[in-house]
Amino acid sequence: MLGALTAALAVLVSAIGVLLGLRALGADDPRGTAPPEAVPFLGGYAPETHAWSRFHLRYYPLTLLFIAFEMEMMFMYPWAVVYVQEGVTALAEMGMFLAILSLGVLYAWREKVLEWQ
Amino acid sequence: MAVARLARLAALAPVPVFALAGVGARDRVQDLALDAGVVFVRSPRHATLLVLAGRFPVEVADVIARIHDQVPSPRATVWWGLPEDQPVPEGFPPAVAVPPERSAAEVLVQVHRELIRGERDPEPTLLPHVPPSPWKGVGPYGQGGEGMMGGTPYGRPMAMPGPDRDGLELDRLRLRIGPYFPAFPSGLVLDVVLQGDVVQEVDVVSSPFAGTRLFPESRTGPRPFQPATVEQVERARAESHLRWVARALGIHGLHALGRRVVRLAQDLRPEGVADVRRMRRRLERNPTLRWATAGVGVIGRDQLAADASGPVARASGIAADRRISDPVYERLGFEPVVHDGGDAWARWRQRLAEAEQSLDLAQRAHGTGSSLPGRVEGPRGEQADSLVDLLPVLLPGMEWGDVVTTVASLDLDLVDAPAQRPAGVA
Repeated sequence: MLGALTAALAVLVSAIGVLLGLRALGADDPRGTAPPEAVPFLGGYAPETHAWSRFHLRYYPLTLLFIAFEMEMMFMYPWAVVYVQEGVTALAEMGMFLAILSLGVLYAWREKVLEWQ
Repeated sequence: MAVARLARLAALAPVPVFALAGVGARDRVQDLALDAGVVFVRSPRHATLLVLAGRFPVEVADVIARIHDQVPSPRATVWWGLPEDQPVPEGFPPAVAVPPERSAAEVLVQVHRELIRGERDPEPTLLPHVPPSPWKGVGPYGQGGEGMMGGTPYGRPMAMPGPDRDGLELDRLRLRIGPYFPAFPSGLVLDVVLQGDVVQEVDVVSSPFAGTRLFPESRTGPRPFQPATVEQVERARAESHLRWVARALGIHGLHALGRRVVRLAQDLRPEGVADVRRMRRRLERNPTLRWATAGVGVIGRDQLAADASGPVARASGIAADRRISDPVYERLGFEPVVHDGGDAWARWRQRLAEAEQSLDLAQRAHGTGSSLPGRVEGPRGEQADSLVDLLPVLLPGMEWGDVVTTVASLDLDLVDAPAQRPAGVA
């Protein structure tokens, strides 16, 4: 109950602190927002099309591959804890695991996941 | 109070300057960049002072006014090359005049200090404070309309999709990259259609520098024709190539090397051929330069004009040089340097080799004083103006980095060449 009150107070104080800090940095300064000052710099002319345009996220397959191998890393964490006491068998077992998963990397390489051009 | 002290400290920092080089000022501006009190920035938004150097056609005034307004306040303009008694013409920003003979660096530092300390009033914006168009929907409360696809928010149409290379449809953004884009040579105006960072279409817009009336007016008038000696011609050629190398190194991000090359080009003498040779070897061994330029912007022999001659043609394997037929050069044992491949790396190596060869020729011709009976080609060669017409063919399909590399490797001159022709050299 008291904890909740303190938490709410903390949130309020930090919110006020953030707003004051932004104000000190000049976030509410209207200088530079007039239309001729706000035009993006293209070398001398104003842009004719709007800047909201979509472009290709070419690294998307690579991020999926990354997440898949991140899960492989998750398996390696508990293995690392017992690796020293288990010895060579642990090494061999993890080696087999990694070898099977590296076939996935080879497949991705052939499928041009790693090339964005 | 603390702010005033900080302001005094800020006034002592090097002046961030966005420089626009007009006719007859490109080399001067390049030399000014070496000054320790001045730092040249890549965008007017990082600058405090806008520097106009040289002479400009009056047609370019609204372009300059737009760039002037993009410099954040407090801003000031300095016109290096404007005599003090001449008023600034209509449409140009009110500028502090620095006569061409004076060094601009001290004036820039002075004006910057006055601006930061509040002793000088900042210049107001020149263009009217009118938004391109108010956001207006269809409904009674301003809502609705075509929205995300194909609408015109804030007066500008949305980029519409078009086919992309792997079967997707993605937005094509149409931009006019203007005459003072820092990565391009001054005066180059391109209408590009970009999908992501891949260029799909390129159109060259006629340069505003094609206008004939330049301001301020030239006080000396056209120079009389003077026959030039081999030593002068070759020294000028070497200097032109080295200054191009310095500009292109700056575009590639190798700023310290670029400054070294500018210093080399500043007091260039025929005896300096050993320094040029050392710089050439150093640049040819540079791995970042090679990775950035090898295989980029390949120009085939069939893409050039039939009678093209110049470093670009010779880098594509065409062994044409107007100097071959000249008897003076024949006596000096001149052989044209030719490279294969036609990519940007070949053009780099071509100009570096030609700079060294020119200084070597100048050294051998030193003291003979023989003037040239006929015309020889300039540092950019014949038909250098037609290189701009190659861009709509060459650039589509390239990523933006390769576009900048290719345009830089062509050594285009869209400001001085249309406006003046030096005496004695083609």
